[in-house]
Formats: sequence, C-alpha cells, structure tokens
Amino acid sequence: MKKRGKGMGCMWYPIGFTVMANPSAATVKVNEDGTATLITGTVETGQGSLTVLGQIAAEELGISTDDVHVVSADTDATPMDTGAIASRTTYVTGNAIQLAAEKAKNILFDVAAPMLGVRPDQLEAKDRRIQVKGFPQSCLPIGEVAAHAQNGAGTPALGSASYNPPTVAMDPETGQGKPFSTYVYATQIAEVEVDEETGEVEVLRIAAAHDCGTAINPMLVEGQIQGGISMGVGMAIQEEMLFDDEGRQINPNLTNYIMPTSLDMPDLEVDIVENFDPTGPFGAKGVGEPTAVATSAAICNAIYDAVGARIYNLPATAEKVLAAIKSKDHSDRQKYLPAG
Amino acid sequence: MTDVTLTINGEERSASVPPETSLLRLLRDEFYLTGSKLGCDVGDCGACTVIVDGLPVNACLMLAGQVDGRDVVTIEGLATLEDLHPIQKAFEEFASLQCGFCGPGVIIAAKGLLDRNPDPTKEEIKDALSGNLCRCTGYTKMIEAVQDAARILRGEKEAA
Repeated sequence: MKKRGKGMGCMWYPIGFTVMANPSAATVKVNEDGTATLITGTVETGQGSLTVLGQIAAEELGISTDDVHVVSADTDATPMDTGAIASRTTYVTGNAIQLAAEKAKNILFDVAAPMLGVRPDQLEAKDRRIQVKGFPQSCLPIGEVAAHAQNGAGTPALGSASYNPPTVAMDPETGQGKPFSTYVYATQIAEVEVDEETGEVEVLRIAAAHDCGTAINPMLVEGQIQGGISMGVGMAIQEEMLFDDEGRQINPNLTNYIMPTSLDMPDLEVDIVENFDPTGPFGAKGVGEPTAVATSAAICNAIYDAVGARIYNLPATAEKVLAAIKSKDHSDRQKYLPAG
Repeated sequence: MTDVTLTINGEERSASVPPETSLLRLLRDEFYLTGSKLGCDVGDCGACTVIVDGLPVNACLMLAGQVDGRDVVTIEGLATLEDLHPIQKAFEEFASLQCGFCGPGVIIAAKGLLDRNPDPTKEEIKDALSGNLCRCTGYTKMIEAVQDAARILRGEKEAA
C-alpha cells in the first residue's frame, strides 16, 4: 500500500567565507552617452549574477539595466573576485559594485551641482537624469553630466571600490565570534508517497519559503530555488557515490549515478520572503547553496510521517526505506548509520 | 570509409567517414554543427538530442551510416536570421536555462514533442524531457516554457 506523509525542514545558511577574507572589487564608469560600464572579476555560471550585478549598478546610477555594459571575468583586466562560491556574489560583489557606482555618482553630483545651482547633497540620480530632489524638472541628462565631468571639469565619472564582509574570528576556546557578516533562512515542506511493499519514495510536492534579503531579480531567485530543490531531491532519495574496497568510485557515470530527471521533480511552490538586510546591496543577501539544504530533511521527515521509518543517512533509497519499515526497532539509531 | 548523404536542416550534405563515426561526431566534426553537445557519449544525458525523420534521438547512439538518406534537424535549424524559434523565445522569456549546456538537447526534445503533439499535458512534457538531464534548473521553468511555446504555436497566444 502507498502511504502519504508530510515533513518540514528548516535551515539557516551563511553568506561568504567563514572569517577568511573573501573580497570583491569593481569599477564603474559612467559614459558620455549616459550608459555605464561595470568591470568585475566575477564569473557568470548561468545563475544570472551578471544581470543582478548590472541591476545593482543601474539602480545606484538611476539608469536602466540595459544601459549597463558588464565586463567580467578577464583576469588580465578585471579585479580579482573570490568567486561564484559561498552564495556570496550578490552580497559581496554586489556591495563592491554599489560602492563603486556611488563614487562615480558622487563625481556626477559634484559636476552637476554648479550647473543646476544647488549643493551636491541636494541631487539624486533617477530616470537617466541628475536631478534636484523634490524638483525633478530641474535636471540634466546623466550623459551630459558625464561628458561635462570628462571634458569640462576634468574629473571623469568613475569609481572603484572593494568589499570584504566584516567578521569576528571565533575564539578557539569558547567558540564565540561572528564568523559571517549575514545569514539567510528557509523552510521547505515536502509531501511524499511511500510504497510500503517496495520502500520506493515519490516526492509529490515541495513548498519552499526562502529569505534572501531583497530579491533583486525574483525570477532568478525562483530559478535558483527550483534548481536547488532538484539537487536536494537527488540528495534525499537518489544520488550516491559508491566506492569499492580500494576507494575507487564504482559509479562514475550517469548510468549508475542517478540524478533527478524531469519525471522525478515534484510540483514546486516557491515563496520568496522579502526582507531588507541593511548590510547588503539594496538589502539583498544571497540564495545559491541554501536552496538545497532543507530539502532532504523535509523529505526524510515526510517519509517518517508516512510510514514511521527514520532514515539517518542519505540517500533514502528504496532498499534503505524498506529495511527501516521492516525493522520495528526505529529507536536504534546506530543501525542506520554507515558502517565504521 | 562510409559515404553518407543526408538532409541537415533542409540542406543536402555529404561526407565520407570511418564506419564507427556516430551521428554526433559527424555533425560536430564534419559539418561543424557544434550546437548538439557531446556530454556522456553513451545516451544518458540527452545533450546531443537531434530530430531524425521527425523523432528525437540521441545523436551519440546513432551511427553516421544509419542516417544515410534521412532527414536530420539540429538546434541550428530552428532559428532564422530574423528570429528565434518560438520554443527558443519561450526558454529565453521564462529563464528556463542556467548554464545552458543541456539547452540544445532540451529544446530539440521539446520540438520533437510539439511537432507530434501540439497540445501536450504537463505529464507528457515531463515524459518528453525525461531523457535530458539538467543539473541547474529543476526543469520547472523548462516545462512552463514548453507549455507557453505550445500555446504560441497553436496560435492561442501572441509571441512575446
């Protein structure tokens, strides 16, 4: 008989490296045609980070994302970036970019202030213009100000900045410290169907609520969460590296290392919990790795809810689940731990 | 050597290749159509999917000699100079791909489905894409894009 169950997994996850320095740097220059060039060392791996980073530069400069030309990942020419790792790109590289764009913007304000007859702190960058706060009709096109900065004032509108998340090293004796600058939080709920006769688990549905600070690009955040859940489903019930006695992997291929296909994916419901982090660029934190963390816990709790069997090591293969169902002694935790 | 003459994306092409050459190697190495990707080379990942006589197949599992006289459509055959194919457009619109390596195979598999079944259910789409592995996306946005492309191809919706 097939039995259904629901389970929940909750998690927190840090953004950036554990205490170790992991800086990012960027240069932003505003061009005479009103566009901007963003120079960053970070690598786009398909997650859409260059889109998000372009959005951050555009927002700071009051221009459109389409106006930002991103030059990235050329180690001959761009600043070194610690990398698309540790769920850090939006937060760490994003902060460096916002700071760099702010410097370029402040040069534009200094140049525009005498042209508009106000002080620099009375200006804002919006709708491709440098304008007086509260009096948007008193304005100059951003490209015109950039041209004047270059050719008139002699102070080209560019800024460079770096950002390294502030941390406090952990005390080796007490373990106290602040190893990360910020954290994200998530809860996922899984609904599964377990075949009592075979131990086979089918994940029917997963609802995922994730905090990533401000979601700068909600569609990309959703894509990260959906992708992370597919990895989590694989981790929970399918994916396992098998080794022989000599330590050689015996399934180093996609025939025997089973990862989720479209047919293994449950229906997904993604809920982005908006939340402003004052230390992040426009309140943003991160979303990459955390998406896969809560999934296997939620699925294993759902298996327990369905058939009363506790799985203590992953993946919860049919064999393992069946053995756990058959064994009445679910309290014997050691039984399900790996040998040795 | 094996002599092969086939139609690729509407154009007749010929080559002379060693008999063990796969269709995928023929496309990539002889005709420089590198859109079909070499992933696992044993039919697990689907990154090399092409359409042969209307049916999606793994090009790595077919010998070049087997396609003599047949009709092959690759990812290069979908877009025109003016426009992307509606399936490609929908994939762009829905951000269906991340790293993109599986993309050509997935899009060809989707075309193979929609050519035969213009109004598939979600389950039928999942089934049609089940031979194409994706490590990044969780497939969700791909399935949504195929549903959207199907609506556009059926004329129920204007292209974006």
